Parts: sequence; structure tokens; C-alpha cells
Amino acid sequence: MKILLIEDEPQLRKSIKLFLYNQGYTVESAEDYEKALDKIFNYDYDCILVDVALPKGNGLTIVKQLKTINSKAGIIIISAKNSLDDKINGLDIGADDYLPKPFHLSELNARIKSLIRRRNFDGEKNIIINEITINPENRNVKVNNNEVILTSKEYDLLLYFISNKNRVLSKSNIAEHLVGDHADQIDNHDFIYTHLKNLRKKLIEKGCIDYIQTIYGIGYNFKIN
Amino acid sequence: MKLITKTIIYYLLISLPLLLIAGFISYFLIRQELKDGTDEALWKEKVTIEKQIYLFNKTKTIYLSLDSLSYIKPVNQVYSNFKFSDVSIIDKLENEILDYRVLQSFYISKNQIYLIHLSKPTLEDDELLEGLYSSFALIIFFLLLAFFLVNWVISKTLWKPFYQTLQQLNTYDLKNKSNINFKIATTKEFKQLNTALVKMTDKIYLDYSQQKQFTENASHEMQTPLAIIKISLDNLFQSTNFKEEELIILQNIETSVNKLSQLNKSLLLLTKIENNQFNNYEEINLNTLVTKLVSDYQFIYESKNIKLIILNYESVKIKINTILADLIFGNLINNAFKHTIVNGNIEIKLKNNSFTISNSGKALSFNENDLFNRFKKDEASKDSLGLGLAIVKSIADNYKFKISYTFNNNLHTFTMAF
Repeated sequence: MKILLIEDEPQLRKSIKLFLYNQGYTVESAEDYEKALDKIFNYDYDCILVDVALPKGNGLTIVKQLKTINSKAGIIIISAKNSLDDKINGLDIGADDYLPKPFHLSELNARIKSLIRRRNFDGEKNIIINEITINPENRNVKVNNNEVILTSKEYDLLLYFISNKNRVLSKSNIAEHLVGDHADQIDNHDFIYTHLKNLRKKLIEKGCIDYIQTIYGIGYNFKIN
Repeated sequence: MKLITKTIIYYLLISLPLLLIAGFISYFLIRQELKDGTDEALWKEKVTIEKQIYLFNKTKTIYLSLDSLSYIKPVNQVYSNFKFSDVSIIDKLENEILDYRVLQSFYISKNQIYLIHLSKPTLEDDELLEGLYSSFALIIFFLLLAFFLVNWVISKTLWKPFYQTLQQLNTYDLKNKSNINFKIATTKEFKQLNTALVKMTDKIYLDYSQQKQFTENASHEMQTPLAIIKISLDNLFQSTNFKEEELIILQNIETSVNKLSQLNKSLLLLTKIENNQFNNYEEINLNTLVTKLVSDYQFIYESKNIKLIILNYESVKIKINTILADLIFGNLINNAFKHTIVNGNIEIKLKNNSFTISNSGKALSFNENDLFNRFKKDEASKDSLGLGLAIVKSIADNYKFKISYTFNNNLHTFTMAF
């Protein structure tokens, strides 16, 4: 799985690169517009993460270039511009997703996984983690082949945990993921307890091991050995 | 007050005292002239009479007028030389005082002395004043008329470039990048005015776009370090070596970073709304939007066990930017959910020209006039940024929606009229 990261801020580039590498991806990076163009014209990638504001050019132009060369790569725009019109523009010209800065690495991870799942129609459709089987197409969850009926938010929560297994996720991180577009208006993250409690209960009822560990003071970790 | 009205008032203020003085002077001059005229006429008559006396020697009194006020009378001695005098006589018939000018003189002819007493009625003062009044009133009337006409013509021609410039300034909209095109004026002052205005509007537009750019850039520059902090924290959380108290410190840092990032985004949003940067709009169905937003927020406040009623009286369609629609109604709905007490209720009413949302809750801890101000928040919600309702107000102002708040029977009600 090959990812190209186009980001000019060195520290951010380094952190994201390291994180993706640890997640098992092959990662290449470009720090400006020209280097990015050079890479996209010469190599194929499965996923391209592109910052909008770049030295010597604009990330949105790169997206347009990718579309003209019929690139099969999934494109996620990461932007600090945070303008909602930028998001609409980006998606209009053919980007698959838009992630405003600052974001959690786990959120980026979930978006990349979801994007790759959507792109790889020929590959394995189901996500299988020990006794849990998830079919992302019809949002269906089975434990030991017994269907677990989850609410939409409980499903999102489970998928987020599984996309970021063995990672500590803070409460605010999980809350932001669940709330989505309205995250900026939420100042209390306690609501995730209820949803988490219900999810745990439903999974355990079907004979699932309780993988979700509570990390004191911070959040939770979906731990699988 | 219009320029023409003001000019006329100033003109009147200056011309009225002048006319008054002119009136006084005219009054005295005319009176003197009239007196001189009468005296001259009397004198001429006297000379004629003297000639007649010389020709026809008479020794008895002769009355020269019907009212017996002019006569020739033989007398024994001369009292004085000729004498002019003013005499007032009461006319018993008409019961008014009549003024006369009298000339008395003596004439000696063939050893007989004659007293010539001649009198002529003079123009009375009130008649003179009356004449003066009416002529001055006429003068003022014609002056005003002339002045009004002249000014009207001037404002139609001379001031035309000024009014054109004014018209253009009134329709100038900084947000739409339409540069002002003033018509070329021939008057030097108006030319200078237009040049100055072009220079000024250009500068304002430049400042405006630079400021817009600045807020965007500032936010961009701030989001990058925030992103680095956030990602570094994410990585720190993965370490297993922290003690409990260290984890709490990390948690505090994360909370603050999130808050800072929210604050930054919200302030940028407010600036953008106020700069009218969301100027495209489309027609949206408010009933659908409200249903979607309510379900978006409902799960966050599920534990509060809130009873929710949505009353769709009518199907409501409004023209609005979709991003702003999400924000204004989302903020109002979130605000209601946030401040509703446990087991409380929320009621939303949708009518053709209004959106009403009410929720049960405690009275405000501050003056309700401050409700829509930035950073104003209830004592109970310390974590809140206090920008939600400021954003609502800012968007409402932008679309000229009227937003009002009432608190009755522990029920907070926000009404927005389109």
C-alpha cells in the first residue's frame, strides 16, 4: 500500500510519515508543488494526501493534474485553510475526502482505510478481527457469525476503534469523529460514554472479548494481541 | 435639510434685516419727499394767489376751498414772514384725524395787508406704511421665487455631478468588487472630490482585501502549529510509560489545544460572515434541514432524556447559503439541547415566515441584552466558547432575519423571523 504525502511543514510531514509507516504503509513525501508533480507523473500511488497551501503552487491544482492523468489514487485534501468552501471546491474537482487541520492521526488513519476499502473492490470486502466480522458495504457486524444490531453511531465507533486498533484514542478524538461537521460546537465529550457502554454490552452479549480498554485520564484503546 | 432649503434660509436671514433697514430709510425719505412736494405745491399756489390779489383788489375774506381751510383774509398787520406748519384736524363726520400742511404768508398790495392761508391734506402715516408693507412683501415674494428658481436650476445643472457622485457612493458595495466609475465633472471642485473619492475607495478596498487575506493567513499559520501539537500529543498517548498524574497533564494540554483550535476556527468564521464571504445562496427546505440537524445533535445529548417536539406547520423554503444555514440553525438547536435541563423538553415550530425553538431551563445568569455578545456565557457552562449565539446573530444580521429571545415560565424561546 503506497501513500504519497504532500506537505510543506517539516515537523508535520515527519510526524505523519512516521505514523503511517508504523501503520504498515509505504510512504513517500514531497515538500513543494514541483516535487509533488514530479512524483505523481513518475510513480503510481494508492492514496495521496495533499495540503492545499504549498510553496510554488496550490494543492488543488495537483488534484486537477491527477484527474487529467486519470490517476487511480484516492485523494485526501488536508488543509489548514479550514474554509468550508475549500472543502466543497476540493470535492468538486475530484478529491475523495477533505480533512481540516488540526486533525487527529487516528482520524486520518480511519479516512485512509475507508478510502482504500472503497477503492479496492476486487479485494477482501469484509474486515475480520478475530471473532468480529464487519461488512462496510452494508454496515453489518457479526460476532462469531451472529449478527449484532448496532445503531449508526455505535457502528461508527466500532469501525473507528478497529481502524485504529492498538492505539490510545482520547475522548475528544473519539467525540470529534462521531460528531463530524459539528465538532466545533461541542464542548462536552461525555456523551461518548453512553454509546461506548451500549456498544460494549452488545458485543459482549454475543460472546465477544472486551477488547476496549479504558486508559485512565485519556480515553480508550482497542487492544488486540 | 436639503441644500436648496438651507441656502434659502441663509439668504432670508441675511436679506430680511437688510430689507427692514431699507424699509425704515424709505419711509423717512418718502415722507420728506412728500412734504417737500406739498410745500412746493403750496408755494406755487401762493405765488399764483398773490398775482390774483394784485389784479383784483378785494377787501373781504375769500374762501378758496369747500372745507374753508384755504382762504385769503385782509388783516391789519403782519405777524411774521411766511410759515409752513403741520396741522391735525378732527373730521367729525368720519371720526378720524386728518393731517394738513399749512402755509401762511402775508402779502401787501395797495396798502392792504392780506393773510394767505393755504392748506393741503398730506398722505397719512398709516397709508404710507401700508403702501410700504405691501410693496416690501411683494419684493420678498418675488425675491424668494427668483431665488428658488435660480437654485433649482443651479442644482439641476451646477450641482448635478455632485448628486451623481452621491448616488454612486450610496450604491457602492465594498463586498462586490465593483470599482466606482464617476462621471467626468467639469467643475474643478467636483473633479477634485471625485479624484479624492476614487483614491479613498481604492484604498478602502485594498485594506479590506488585505484584512480578509490576513485573517485567512493568520488562521492558516495558527492551525499548523496546532496540528503539530495535536499530532505530537496523539503520539505521546501511545507511550505506556506515563504515570497517572502525567496522563492528566497531557489530557489538560489536549483539552486546551482543542479549545484553542475551536476558538480560532469560530473567530475566523465570524470574520468571514461579517465580511460577507459566503455570498452564494440557494433555496433550501428548512423542514428537512431542521430534521437532519436535530438528529445530528440528539445523540450527543441522549443521556439528558429530552422530550422533543417538532411542529411543521408549513413547508418552509428560504434562500440562504447552505453552510450558513447549517451554522445558524445548528447553533440554535445545539444551544437548546445544551441548556435544557435533564428530562426537560424542546419544542420547534416551523411556520412560513418564522422558526421558533424553545427549551426548558434555568433563567440566565446575566443580562439578556448580552445574550448575543461574543464570549458571553452562562456560569454553568465554563467549557463553552460563548461564540455560538454571536455567530447566529451575525448570520441573522447578514440576511436581515429578525432574531428575538424571551424567557417565560422557565422556557427559553428564540424566534427567528424571515
